[in-house]
Amino acid sequence: MISSLANIDGAFKALAPRNADWASILPEICVAGLALFCLVQAMTLPKSLRWLIPTTARICLALVMIMALQGGTAWNPAEPTVFFAGLTKLSADSAQGIRLTFLLSALLTSFLAARFFKERPAPIADYHHVLMVVTAAFMLLAQSNHFVTLFVSLETAAVGLYVLVGYLRRSQASLEAGVKYLVAGGLSSALLLMGIVLVYGSLGGPGVDSLNFDQINTALAAALAAGKGSALTMVGLALILGGAAFKLGAFPFHAWIPDVYQGAPTPTTALLSTASKAAGAFTLLLLVTGPFAPLAPKLAPLLAIAAILTLLVGNLAALATTDVKRVLALSGVSHAGFLLAAIAAVVIAGASDGPQLISIYLIAYAIGTFLVSQALIELPVADDHHRPLLGLRGLLRRSPILASALGFGIGSLAGIPPSIGFFAKLLILIFLAKLHLWWVFGAALLSVAISIHYYFAILREAVVRPTDDQEEVVPLEVSFTSRFLIGALSAATILGSLLVFRN
Amino acid sequence: MENTTLAHHLLLAGLLFALGLTGVLVRRNLLVVYMCLELMLTAATLALVAFSRFNRTMDGAIFVFFIITVAAAEVAVGLALIVALYRRRGSVKSDELVTLRD
Repeated sequence: MISSLANIDGAFKALAPRNADWASILPEICVAGLALFCLVQAMTLPKSLRWLIPTTARICLALVMIMALQGGTAWNPAEPTVFFAGLTKLSADSAQGIRLTFLLSALLTSFLAARFFKERPAPIADYHHVLMVVTAAFMLLAQSNHFVTLFVSLETAAVGLYVLVGYLRRSQASLEAGVKYLVAGGLSSALLLMGIVLVYGSLGGPGVDSLNFDQINTALAAALAAGKGSALTMVGLALILGGAAFKLGAFPFHAWIPDVYQGAPTPTTALLSTASKAAGAFTLLLLVTGPFAPLAPKLAPLLAIAAILTLLVGNLAALATTDVKRVLALSGVSHAGFLLAAIAAVVIAGASDGPQLISIYLIAYAIGTFLVSQALIELPVADDHHRPLLGLRGLLRRSPILASALGFGIGSLAGIPPSIGFFAKLLILIFLAKLHLWWVFGAALLSVAISIHYYFAILREAVVRPTDDQEEVVPLEVSFTSRFLIGALSAATILGSLLVFRN
Repeated sequence: MENTTLAHHLLLAGLLFALGLTGVLVRRNLLVVYMCLELMLTAATLALVAFSRFNRTMDGAIFVFFIITVAAAEVAVGLALIVALYRRRGSVKSDELVTLRD
């Protein structure tokens, strides 16, 4: 009895976190600490100094971003390393891109939120707190190597996002979007959990931790080699991939997207369409190249078909829509299709530069989305959820800088050369062509053509359509911060493509 | 109790899960829908414990604590949203959620 207890003690000591483990998630710890710091500031600062909260949050996020990009450090190991006794895994070729995507989305959302909540009755400090928690959870999610890490960080992010979607408590639309997201998200996480349980049960046995990705990979390969891939495993696997596809917003799990994106406060819409989609893409990539890699021959056609359907469904639905936020939401579905196509190609080729392609695409998409969102929140509207195309009419005369923000953003989203969005799409198309995935290639090309139609319908309304001469044109005041941000992001759409080429 | 097998536990878990899923898809009252979601999570937890017991691995049993914690956080936020919506419109019927449309 005593001796077995001594053994248990030894086992615990072997599994206990070491200093190197904590150092590997230092950027995440910093972001989580920043979340708490926002709350402390909200409690201690007098009302006249509240503007400090978003400012410190942004400065700290920029510092963490610089820190996360340093190579050769504990949090950017040179080769794939497992930490926390198998709970997380960092790989050199994707860690920087993953962290940069999430930190950039958080930073830009903070700018949007500060402007958006200036004229609305909602506290800015709490928004930043939840935003930081969600960002830290997403960063952990993308490096998880165990289903406990995956589930807990996915749910932490999801619960935070429910709050951010329903943040405008006096607005019926925001609450309705929050409740719809809650029910859809709760359903997807229940299905995901059931999938995890089935995989755990059907592959597990004495001495096998069948929640660990590496051990699932081994057990699945052994089961397939013995010719007994059980039905339970397959059902579980399908449910898990469905849960990730829900986050990504891929067909057939995209039904929640238009309503939630339209009703959510615009900064949250931007966050959902960048960080949340990125989380879905990275998780899906992690799952199909990690634990489920032995099934790659069966998964690849499935992913390719899902990519084609997602591209077409998103684009065709966006064609029939006239609300700007809904158009952006549905075009986001078609961007998810591009990401799925890239993931399918990575599964087939096993290419190591796949994660980088996906990171570049996500960053390009984020820059475009935030430019358009910045232009949208500067426009005075009665209801945040009601933004018809007509409301943009005459924007060029009212504020040239907002019209140019819209132009650069939409140009990058639609993939007009020489914007970064064009090169991101081109790299994925080249990747698909190299692998002779002609059906997916064709669907992607067709979707670019369709997307140009509805993207430029937005731009035409803002720039080309004349306003009545009798109608008084009210010039819009744009603050210095917004102008600076629009300038920086517009420059990024052009200069970013140079960076893509340098690599 | 001697002759309960894994299949019995899984059958019960599967029934509970199907019940919850049906409720989410069929019922119109948001509170009931939310209760059904929690029922689905509980069904998954039951299957997890059964697998943990019959596979003789402890990992699943430990996972249950995380699931319970996460479910509690989700209920706190979810009920807050539903109550706020009720205060705003005086109803929690899902077919009356028609503010968002094109």
